[in-house]
Amino acid sequence: MTVTSPLVRLSGVHKRYGGVQALRDASLTAAGGEVHGLLGPNGSGKSTLGKVLAGSVRPDAAEIVLAGESVRIGSPRAAARLGVAAVYQQLSLVPDLSVGQNLVLGSEPGRLGFLSDRAAARRVAPVLERLTPALGDVRFDDAVRDLAPGQQQLVEIGKALLREPRVLILDEATASLHRDQVALVFDIVRELREGGAAILFVSHRLDEITELCDRATILRSGVTVAETSVPDTTPDEIVRLMVGDVQQVEREHRDAAGGPVRLRVRGLAGGALHGVDLDARGGEIVGLGGLQGQGQSELLLALFGAIAAAGDVEVDGEPVRLASPRSAARRGIALVPGDRGTQGTLPARPIQENLAIASIAGRARVGVLSTRREREAAQSMVDALAIKIGSLADPISSLSGGNAQKVVFGKWLLTEPSVVLLDDPTKGVDVGAKAEIYRIVRGLAEQGATVVINSSEDRELVTVCDRVLVLFEGAVRATLVGDEITEERLVQAALRIGEGTQGAATGEDAA
Amino acid sequence: MSRVVPILKDPVVVAALIAVLLIAIGGILRPGFASPDQIVDMLRVASFLGIIAIGQTIVVLSGGEGIDLSVGTVATLGAILASRTMAGDDAMIVPGVLLALGVAALIGLANGLGIVALKIPPFVMTLGMLGVVGGLILVVTGGRADGRAAPALVSLVNGRDVLGLPGILIVWLVLGGAVTLVLRRTVFGARLYAIGTSREAARLSGVPVRRVTVSAYVLSSLFAALGGIAMVGYSQQVFLNLADDLTLPSIAAVVIGGTLVAGGVGGYLGSAVGAIVLTVLTSLLTTLAMPEWARIVVQGVVLIALLAVYGRQRRLRA
Amino acid sequence: MTAATQAPPAPTVVDRVRSVRVASWATAALLVVAVVAAIALQPNLLTPYGVASTFATFLPLVLVAVAQAIVVIGGGLDLSAGAIVALSSVVAVQVMRGEDGLAAVGLAAAVGTGVACGMLNGLVVSRLRLQPLIATFASASIFSGLALLVLPTPGGTVPAILTGTFRQAIATVPMSVLLVVAVALGWLVLRRTRVLRHIRATGGDPAAAYASLVPVQTSQFASYVLSGAISGLAGLAVLGNAGSGDPFIGGDLALGSVAAVVVGGIALRGGIGSPIGAIAGAIILALSSTILFSIGLPTSWRALAAGVVVILALALSALGAPRRRR
Repeated sequence: MTVTSPLVRLSGVHKRYGGVQALRDASLTAAGGEVHGLLGPNGSGKSTLGKVLAGSVRPDAAEIVLAGESVRIGSPRAAARLGVAAVYQQLSLVPDLSVGQNLVLGSEPGRLGFLSDRAAARRVAPVLERLTPALGDVRFDDAVRDLAPGQQQLVEIGKALLREPRVLILDEATASLHRDQVALVFDIVRELREGGAAILFVSHRLDEITELCDRATILRSGVTVAETSVPDTTPDEIVRLMVGDVQQVEREHRDAAGGPVRLRVRGLAGGALHGVDLDARGGEIVGLGGLQGQGQSELLLALFGAIAAAGDVEVDGEPVRLASPRSAARRGIALVPGDRGTQGTLPARPIQENLAIASIAGRARVGVLSTRREREAAQSMVDALAIKIGSLADPISSLSGGNAQKVVFGKWLLTEPSVVLLDDPTKGVDVGAKAEIYRIVRGLAEQGATVVINSSEDRELVTVCDRVLVLFEGAVRATLVGDEITEERLVQAALRIGEGTQGAATGEDAA
Repeated sequence: MSRVVPILKDPVVVAALIAVLLIAIGGILRPGFASPDQIVDMLRVASFLGIIAIGQTIVVLSGGEGIDLSVGTVATLGAILASRTMAGDDAMIVPGVLLALGVAALIGLANGLGIVALKIPPFVMTLGMLGVVGGLILVVTGGRADGRAAPALVSLVNGRDVLGLPGILIVWLVLGGAVTLVLRRTVFGARLYAIGTSREAARLSGVPVRRVTVSAYVLSSLFAALGGIAMVGYSQQVFLNLADDLTLPSIAAVVIGGTLVAGGVGGYLGSAVGAIVLTVLTSLLTTLAMPEWARIVVQGVVLIALLAVYGRQRRLRA
Repeated sequence: MTAATQAPPAPTVVDRVRSVRVASWATAALLVVAVVAAIALQPNLLTPYGVASTFATFLPLVLVAVAQAIVVIGGGLDLSAGAIVALSSVVAVQVMRGEDGLAAVGLAAAVGTGVACGMLNGLVVSRLRLQPLIATFASASIFSGLALLVLPTPGGTVPAILTGTFRQAIATVPMSVLLVVAVALGWLVLRRTRVLRHIRATGGDPAAAYASLVPVQTSQFASYVLSGAISGLAGLAVLGNAGSGDPFIGGDLALGSVAAVVVGGIALRGGIGSPIGAIAGAIILALSSTILFSIGLPTSWRALAAGVVVILALALSALGAPRRRR
């Protein structure tokens, strides 16, 4: 690699989602014949950067140069024309179609509008055969819906390979794969590299990065902070680059709450959960850490009765039936869900109704509402939480992310809950509102409530938590207490568990 | 200008303006069309549709692709049951109405349970129910409709006994006011809007989604039966297909009134104005000697045009 | 755990049969029950005449069910299918004026009318992005109104060649049976086209189809046009069966087609199922009314019984259908 211009060069990429700056002057350069890692902590914008190149996210500003030519990529179709293909954890397979039909979808061979299964089979045969060692005996005609998640992921990869891409983006594409499946994908990636393609590789697994990547770009809070040659960098150095110079987050030092256990969970299992135990005292803020998607959200939803799970849950010593959110709410449990738009708020409805809905029956007399009581209740939360609104009658969709989230908090505060479950409560919230939400969370704890919080940002857990449980594959694998809770240790704990050395970071091994 | 525009974007205001405009056009084309008597008569006819549209509004507001395609036949069945019980006797009005409402409630309950318990999509369930109720009508009547409205019911609809207005208009006003209050000032109303906006968010806020959904379909059938009873007061004789054709207009009235087809946004006032618009439009077309086919076509065109203005779905690409 | 252990075993004959998915097992079971019950109650169904006339009455519903199935598989819905049948049939009857020589013109007119109606539905749903349910309910009103314009009251004469064809037999197989088989074969050809593949992908997962560069809007449009053309053919079948035109036949067919689709194991959320299932569904529904006829139910009870059968069938299918994922 001498003076030849790089195959891919992204620079000055900006993207804003509502109040959140996802990318801020991010950049990336990758040469043909190179596997380029894209690294960063949760929420650093690495996926967004990949999606800008794949045409599925429209950037606010960006300069994209492909093989020396400045290009605009406005849609997945445009990206495909330029030889860019992307594979995500989120699949683009149609489950009702067969493997072969999915592989050729959108570019089916045939004549006069009639499809030729034989031509399609001929075209996909090399790819299917190449994948066979990992895919197992999967035939052209097998329905995609009957495949295991890992097999579906491999079909998705095969779909991208069929397009013979110059640039291939693999975004967490190995997350659902087993070790030998990953090995095969790596072999294929190396073949593509030999063929002169550039491969952008996004992964949470540090061992995969060090094994596969030639160089890596490291992002933090939407900014490119480093570019490094992977073979020349130790894993610890990479972690340090991801976390940044140890600019210690200010921790609120509090005496560990010594009260009785308020929330007690034993053997909670079902879906993504595999036997979670948890004890939390009144006034305690317990964090859920680990890589994203290790059952954190499911744990909160299960405790709220919103998804099916079995296990023993007690609040203040009384058993709770995990039947429905309604029964959970009656027992003083509240949930601020992870997706504010579809789960937390009623977008088109007024702010007042959004604040009132969870506690409305308690204020009504024989089902009839008092206009005054409703308004006063809503106003009390607007005042207490300092929610910036125009009028209580405005739809909640008119609020910024932070203020909308405060409304969701207010909705539950009106029920005076004893256990508050928070699923990524500051996602899509600007810095100022974040601090205020932290204050609300601490206020809840000070008033004696038990808070369980999941966060996609390790920094947030460091800031607010008294204790952090690190989850991996639906179970608690490590616990950090008090001053043990640092960003570096959280990242290490999450990544090291991912490598299989469980509990190596610190603390006890709950397994 | 800038202060007027937001008001002009309110569908209820737009619908009301359209109604006034249609009456004015009618008055110009056919003198007498806009006379007070004529207007009262049109309102009288609009009241049947308006009462049926109460239930349709509630169901559409409840979201989840909520719609009730059985309201027309349920109205007919209600009219038949009530008028056969009355058989022209004032003393039997209450039993007749109660019987009709009782049967309608059962039909609505079946609709609601099919939708929440069996997870049958609302349009399929209520379309199927349309067939069942049609069959029920044949069983009840043996194919011959012979019910007669009681005189008091007839004079309630056809007379002008209350301040010179037909009593049915007062009934409509009271029902419309009551349902507006229920929507805005009760726990049920708040929960209805909540499930209509987002079933998931409502569920995660502790709203009993299934119970509210079933209630919506029960109310829809109840109001349909009431509308049918009012209609038989107008026609005096009952027919086997008396109100069958009111299903499409009931949906159109809801759409004209600006209630979001996806649910969760809107109210009854708009639907009431929508019922008036549709009735005036039909009268105008009749007055202009438009044949029946043209009136049916116009109904469809109007609904599609309004949907195009109010009811477009999201694009696939954000 | 290796990848191979979780791979499915080599497909057996049973798997192969299942992968053909003629219809779900529930549909097949219902079909067997309906056929056995109908024959037990009315043995003369098995006579050549019985078979011929039974299939002749099936044909319109079979065709509309296939038309509905294509739209539903594409993720849409067509409540105007019945009205399209009515409009196509009255247009054809007026064009043919009872003359044998104009039968071909009648065929073209019926199909052309169906295509035109389908294009309107397709435009409204795919370009204007209106909710298919209410939009096609509204367009049904337009088509019914136009049907009244073309033929204000039931009547008109159907060319003898058309009604005659219906009563003919080829090598002792009644024409009506052949036509139902032809519809099924026609589907087997159609499913091999790119358009149908894209319609299925669009109905199965529009976002994934879009990401895979499938022309989603065009596929939606095509599903309505195709469906309209088949509903046009159904209009002709109605004429051949009845011998005269009727502008009011649409209402029951809309319900019937949706019910046949559901009973036929086609998920209303789109993407799953085959029109072959819808054909089975249509035959089940038609046979059940034959059964109700033959058990001596009083005339006035038949409509109710038929309605209840439809609801029960819908409920059964709903219970047996795979739950929506996500």
